[in-house]
Amino acid sequence: MAMKPAEVLKVIAAARGNAICVPTMTTSPAWRELAPDDLSVGCVGFMGGASSLGLGLALSRPERRVVVFDGDGSLLMQLGSLATIAGARPRNLVHLLFKNGVYHTSGSQEIPGGLTVDFVTMARGAGYRTALSIGELDEFKRRFPQMLKEEGPIFAELHTTLADQTPMTARGGVAFPDQIDRLRKKLLTSAA
Amino acid sequence: MPESIPASLIIDTLKDTFREARAARTAEGWGRPATDHLGWILSVPDTHQKSVLAALDKEEAIRVLTCATEDEAATIAAGLYTGGEPVVLMIQHAGLYASVNTLRGVSMDGKVPVFYMIGLLSREKDKDLKDSRHSMVRFAEPLLDTFGVPHARLEGPDDVHLIPEYYRLSRQRRGPAAVLVGLETI
Repeated sequence: MAMKPAEVLKVIAAARGNAICVPTMTTSPAWRELAPDDLSVGCVGFMGGASSLGLGLALSRPERRVVVFDGDGSLLMQLGSLATIAGARPRNLVHLLFKNGVYHTSGSQEIPGGLTVDFVTMARGAGYRTALSIGELDEFKRRFPQMLKEEGPIFAELHTTLADQTPMTARGGVAFPDQIDRLRKKLLTSAA
Repeated sequence: MPESIPASLIIDTLKDTFREARAARTAEGWGRPATDHLGWILSVPDTHQKSVLAALDKEEAIRVLTCATEDEAATIAAGLYTGGEPVVLMIQHAGLYASVNTLRGVSMDGKVPVFYMIGLLSREKDKDLKDSRHSMVRFAEPLLDTFGVPHARLEGPDDVHLIPEYYRLSRQRRGPAAVLVGLETI
């Protein structure tokens, strides 16, 4: 079974509280509709960077949860970030991988290895505190609130269908520099 | 002739740079730091600056995070900046070449201040960079020029003032700025 990404995002939106969220690629259009003006920053213009952007945020704001919405094609572009994250041991980082086996945005070409790539084993081998695979929405609904409380870094491979939209079919949204400014100001205000 | 710079001088300068950055952070309105150190070094180990990295291992005031790639380092820097933390990247020229798309996407188009210290491994003491036998050395400045990244050379101990100056410049222009470490540090 595979979950619809939009349904997964709704669960996250309902439970995330004041967590900082880092969407990338096909989760970006749906997330900006679900959470248009909040503590989020999208990884746009440097595919593969979501996990590292999330790590930097998690290290700078240890009092907050940071939730990364990575893609399988994206993570393959900076696969070493699994080891870097595990080495940095951010207790507040939740790394979600939306796994669909393809580069959806660029035309759904299969990623190297397709759906057989086992990211859970990779994350566990890199040294994440927890790494698990979830294929059912009910299980995600049950597990996600716990992930926001458990000690990280936590990795969850989410088996998903293709999203309804991609950054190519649903362009727009706030420009990355403005997202950075907006998030920085919100963090500044809350830290003051 | 260029001279090698002692690690202790670079580390003292980095501490001063971070202290200044912390003061600017406070003036900006950030409250008490969420962390108890002065700032972050994000490093993909550089042979040229290895004496600095070795000395940093014993420094409690500066936190060092070793990254698997320079792409990661520049992107982690963006996250740290957004969360109000001072950060410096220490990499090698080959790593600069490897991470050009991230330099463009994160720091240039993304307008995130990122300050780089770039080691010029194999730079000959008696040659200008443009006359080096090594393409890694020759291409560093032309690449930075092509991308419009302001840069300066650290050619000896008298040049360490360029570290806080170019750090400040990266913040002022909201983009990348770099210093090139001319000879291997000691």
